[in-house]
Amino acid sequence: MIEVKNLRKEFELSKKQQKEFATTEKVAIAVDSISFTCQPGRIFSLLGPNGAGKTTTMRMLSTLFQPTSGSIMIGGVDAIKNPKEARAKIGFLTGSTGLYARLTPNEVIKYFADLYGVKKDDFEKRKKYLYDLLDMNDFANKRIAKLSTGMKQKVSICRTMIHDPEIIIFDEPTSGLDVITAENIIKLILDCKNQGKTVIFSSHIMSEVDLLCDDLAIIHKGKMVFEGTMEDFRNQMQAPNLTSEFIRIITENK
Amino acid sequence: MIGTIFKKELLDTLRDKRTLMTMIIIPVMVFPVIMTLFLKVSESFSENAATKTVNIGVVAGSDGEGFVNSLKTLPAVYGKRKVIMISDTVNMKQLIRMDSLQFGVFVPIDYEKSMQDKTPAKMDVFFNATELGMKDRAEGYLNAISELEKQKRYQELDIQIEEITPLFFDYKNVATDKETIGKLIGGFLPYLFIVFGFVGCMYPAIDLFTGEKERGTLETLLTTPVSRWQILVGKMGVIVLSGLMAVTFTLVGIFLSIKVFDMVQDPRILEVIYQILSAKFLLMMYLLIIPMIIFFAGVMIPIAVYAKSFKEAQSIITPMNMFFILPAMVGFFPGISLNMVTAFIPVVNIVLATKELIAGTLDIKLLIISFIVMTSLAAIAVTISYKRFDKESNLVS
Repeated sequence: MIEVKNLRKEFELSKKQQKEFATTEKVAIAVDSISFTCQPGRIFSLLGPNGAGKTTTMRMLSTLFQPTSGSIMIGGVDAIKNPKEARAKIGFLTGSTGLYARLTPNEVIKYFADLYGVKKDDFEKRKKYLYDLLDMNDFANKRIAKLSTGMKQKVSICRTMIHDPEIIIFDEPTSGLDVITAENIIKLILDCKNQGKTVIFSSHIMSEVDLLCDDLAIIHKGKMVFEGTMEDFRNQMQAPNLTSEFIRIITENK
Repeated sequence: MIGTIFKKELLDTLRDKRTLMTMIIIPVMVFPVIMTLFLKVSESFSENAATKTVNIGVVAGSDGEGFVNSLKTLPAVYGKRKVIMISDTVNMKQLIRMDSLQFGVFVPIDYEKSMQDKTPAKMDVFFNATELGMKDRAEGYLNAISELEKQKRYQELDIQIEEITPLFFDYKNVATDKETIGKLIGGFLPYLFIVFGFVGCMYPAIDLFTGEKERGTLETLLTTPVSRWQILVGKMGVIVLSGLMAVTFTLVGIFLSIKVFDMVQDPRILEVIYQILSAKFLLMMYLLIIPMIIFFAGVMIPIAVYAKSFKEAQSIITPMNMFFILPAMVGFFPGISLNMVTAFIPVVNIVLATKELIAGTLDIKLLIISFIVMTSLAAIAVTISYKRFDKESNLVS
């Protein structure tokens, strides 16, 4: 489970940035006191337009960024006090994730398994399961630089799941991918849900949200403008479809 | 965890062609290439000097015949020469400028009389200073003729040379061959170590920090349950190792030049080089080099962490090379040695200490000071690297 309470993130602005943004403010508020809960076995979607604060929130959940205030509990672990322990429970995947081009999938997967402290027996079993599931056996020993985008995405998925994390964070996981490659990610998200894992993903593609989401939150300019179940969202809709309703909520909160 | 990161980064680095070039290929090649060039150039210079005919212009009346004969009949050891009689000095100067003549002599009208009267004859010698070595050639010929005339006068005056030589000096060198050669060529080795140590660190530093950020792999790495300091140490270990490998391969290049390519023939120099390449020397040298390479890595990492692209990091780090190469050149200057002042100047102290080490004249107290100074600087650089690496704004693009 992920429990977020009054999460806030401020970034200090340099003189150059103040000039760029035409402001005299010394800090920029990226996320402003947001709270939400992601339940195991459910898919939570964090929605928002570009620059809403989705990636900053995801980076705080994965402990890359230290929140200015508020609390984050990851699988019962305080992520601010014990970031290392929290990270061990997380699998993190973004659409812009790169891989080590000079290594082979086998080497990358072993490297991350070692970093997560996966035991040898567990690693072999988990690797076989994921390689079979993702059909990776044929290119496991090829250099990553020589793989297609789809193959690379499979390696990224395998890398995210090798330590069998109980919480998966996807930050715009399908951004920049073609439909066939994106399909692997969609399948992975659904698999995680079926295995009872806690899944949070950020997106601005409403068709994905419609397909996957159980709970959702919409943030805009760092503030939470909607939080509830997908069912609640559909029931409260004033626009004819999900995309129009999303745009309506954002426009209303400008 | 540090070991896991180190192992992976090393594997990744060893598969990078650019790093392999700066870490292994260029350092191994540099010494044999420099030696080959040096030998070829000096060989061709001495060949040229021995075979080239020097055109000597002489402006003289019939009175100067004796001088011209002396010039023509000097032994062959002075090199091939052709004496050309010129009508006047204006013409002679022009021919020297055009390099048709290499130098010219104006023989005074009273030359023969001066020789008979045993008085000095004033000779004007014209040469072009831009033609290197020609003044030396002229001095060689003219001193030889002067010496012949002197001998003649001693004989005629019945003077024994010993009678007019009140003091005779026999200079004795108290320095060993190792000290002499070490002081002369000792500055060259640390210069190579610094240049290649720096370049050896540069590409891995940029690749392992800026490159990882640019490729989008750093964010993933930081979401693993590994502390940032462990990641930093693992990566830094590979950068330092790359710098040390570059230094080691420079030594391998020297070894190959001597053992395989047989480039050094002088047994005295060979003996000194074998003494230099002893286990004790290598141990002491690495003791000096290691903190310096850590310092280089510590200086490069904050820049590599800060830079947003490989190009940006390269454009900042490359000119920095000059800051280290210039002090490294101190080793080439004679007279500058490791003392209580230079031991406190970073990089300079390592260059001078290595030079003293090669000459076998290193003062252990100064070695310790140099080591402490470089280690302290390396520690400061590592701390700055950690602070920079821990700063979240630098970690994601």
